Amino acid sequence: MTRTITNARESGERSGSKLMVLNRVVIILACAATFFPGLYPGRVTTEISRNTSLLTASISYDSLVSNISRALKKGWVSASTFQLLMVASIIVLVGIILCAIGGCMSVGNHRMRYVGIRFPIIGSVVMAVGLVCIYVCHGQIVAADTEKVPANFPVGFIVFAVMAVLILLTSLAELRIVLPLKSDLEPKMQMGEKYHLFLLFLPILALVFAFSYLPLWGWRYAFFDYSAGGTLSMDNFVGFKWFTYLFQNSATRSDLFRVIKNTLALSGIGIVTSWLPMIFAIFLTQINSKGFRRVVQTCTTIPNFLGWVIVYAVALAIFSTDGFINSFLSNVLGIASSTNYLMNSSHMWLKMWLWGTWKGLGWSAIIYISSITGIDPTLYEAATMDGAGRFAKIWYVTIPQLAPTFFVLLLMSIANVLSNGLDQYLVFSNAANMSAVEVLDLYVYNLGIGNGQIPLSTVVGMFKSVISVTLLFAANGVSKRLRGESII
Amino acid sequence: MAVANKKCRPKMTAFGIQYRMTAGDYVFNVLNVTFFVLFTFICIFPFYYLFINTISDNDLVGMNMITLIPKGIHFSNYIALRDVQDFGQSVIITVSRTILGTALMVLASAYAGYLTTRQLMWKRSFWYRAMVITMYFNAGMIPTYLNMMSLGLTDNYLGYIIPGIVAPYNIILVKTYIESIPGELEESAEIDGATVMQTFTKIALPLSKPILATIAVFGAVGNWNSLQDSLIYMANSPSLYTMQHRLYIYLNSSSNLAQAMQSGTAVTSGMLNNKVIKYTISMVTVIPIALVYPFMQRYFEEGIMMGAVKG
Repeated sequence: MTRTITNARESGERSGSKLMVLNRVVIILACAATFFPGLYPGRVTTEISRNTSLLTASISYDSLVSNISRALKKGWVSASTFQLLMVASIIVLVGIILCAIGGCMSVGNHRMRYVGIRFPIIGSVVMAVGLVCIYVCHGQIVAADTEKVPANFPVGFIVFAVMAVLILLTSLAELRIVLPLKSDLEPKMQMGEKYHLFLLFLPILALVFAFSYLPLWGWRYAFFDYSAGGTLSMDNFVGFKWFTYLFQNSATRSDLFRVIKNTLALSGIGIVTSWLPMIFAIFLTQINSKGFRRVVQTCTTIPNFLGWVIVYAVALAIFSTDGFINSFLSNVLGIASSTNYLMNSSHMWLKMWLWGTWKGLGWSAIIYISSITGIDPTLYEAATMDGAGRFAKIWYVTIPQLAPTFFVLLLMSIANVLSNGLDQYLVFSNAANMSAVEVLDLYVYNLGIGNGQIPLSTVVGMFKSVISVTLLFAANGVSKRLRGESII
Repeated sequence: MAVANKKCRPKMTAFGIQYRMTAGDYVFNVLNVTFFVLFTFICIFPFYYLFINTISDNDLVGMNMITLIPKGIHFSNYIALRDVQDFGQSVIITVSRTILGTALMVLASAYAGYLTTRQLMWKRSFWYRAMVITMYFNAGMIPTYLNMMSLGLTDNYLGYIIPGIVAPYNIILVKTYIESIPGELEESAEIDGATVMQTFTKIALPLSKPILATIAVFGAVGNWNSLQDSLIYMANSPSLYTMQHRLYIYLNSSSNLAQAMQSGTAVTSGMLNNKVIKYTISMVTVIPIALVYPFMQRYFEEGIMMGAVKG
């Protein structure tokens, strides 16, 4: 047992030869390239959707032919070409997966490396077979020779071909090192603990990469004159045009100022009133009946777990023409009334804050309630000895004890000053109040999803991300300096 | 006299100390309790109002006659929802994504949380930081949308599930929790020759049940209330809309398309009217949470406290 682990560690160290590192790097690049539509090796015609990557082409035939269905119906190109293309994509993907398995096994002990070396060799050959099939498809498209489905020799084809060749060559060279290991094979395949753990963690990292890091690649849209379904090329590369446009174009500039004003005002109201949950908690804990406190807590925290759409439904039910207020006025008080209070778009900031408070106050207080129950009772005893009354105890004992929690939450809300969230403002917005409730998140949504102005909305999003992160680190710095503790 | 009076006064406890109430305490308590009763009322009453309108006689509801007390109680509106166009489909979507998405998220969080506690992992802290930092930094709505599109996850049910599997915040919670458990069990399992995966499934997973329950309830609520991903990623696939998205559409169509509803293009029939349907659908999305919440409250509260410890 010990011997094999030591061996595995040694082999792990020895396997760090430069060739092997190159081999693994190329395999990782090949894996990553399967996600990028721009590197899809099977883009044999410009008609194939620009959102098709090797991965999507291998999984979904529909996405592969999404733009070609008409050409297929008219018989300009044969469906078999695209079926072959999908099969070819799958073959290339399988090749990459084989290479990846080989790459993983290359960090194991001698036996594992000895067995594993055949995977990248076979895998790169499989990749090559798939690429040949793609080349055949390309030939068929060229032979079909229709203007409606113009042939295209994809960049990704060359990239993948180069990668396949590199993997094959490095793996063959690696054979030189691996084959002599045959004399010294362990009875079982094993792997050093550290690589084993890493490989187990790899699927999680792959998901993080695909959904958190890959989107950053989308920032390139900010530098192009791009509209949905279009292309990115040097022809529509515009550099920093959209960055300057945002501030030089008077319409977008005034929009942006208005939106930022809304964002800062709404966040500002929240920050200025962020002591409310603390007061709520302090006063609630002044009530002796445990049952009463429990009921209040349960009832006031429920709205926090209902979506903003429900809050909007509640708003309609209470304030609209056929809502509770009008019903109450006419049925109980006998005043005929049919006002739609929701259409009134004055004081929108205040109303938005009130809805947020209605939804969140009880829940935000929970954290303080728990802190209060944790306060050392001897502090209160000492305060009683000194003749402190109820409010003196609250002021001199409770609040100072809660201050650190309050401070952390305050810093976090300052760091999040640009992120008001989308849901609340989206559901409550209408044509009349849009100018007052359009916050940054809603603006990006309206601009990008609503109007299809992808580059401009990407630029706004970039600014928001960068400023938010800067604020967060600033808040963290303040916290470290004042409290010696970091908040992130 | 004064002494006797003092003895008659009831005792009360404040700040963990028992003492006799003063007149000021009476005033304070009355005001305090009044405030909380009022606030609780404001939080709960709207749902009561919605509810009595869904179970009252539909014609009275249509005339806006139901204010405080239900009249002509019946529950047929909830059954009639079956016939509301597209709503049933959205219920299936929401329920299934809540179950599937939550289960996968919890499993992945447990798995990743456990693995990140293992000190031996190659470049452990680097990978851990690379994962955690994504909580604070994202590319923005539009690049994320374009990325989902290029991964083929727009207008695709899997677009609800796969991006939610890795939730860094929950992974941190699990990791912190496992680290707080004494490590003897794990160590003894390893001495007995258990593999990493065996230690995970036999030791770490059962021990971290409380924290898994906590992240499960938060995950389930998040899935149940999801609006944004349906709105942005599934825009072209009405059959994939979530319940909240459907409700949002219904709520808006009634305010914008009031004339159309009056001229008879409404999908509803019989005594049902637009208002009743809106309210009933709202209640359908509220009731499961309202029923489950009191029992799960403990887990929710523990969850936020654990987040606070982390900071």
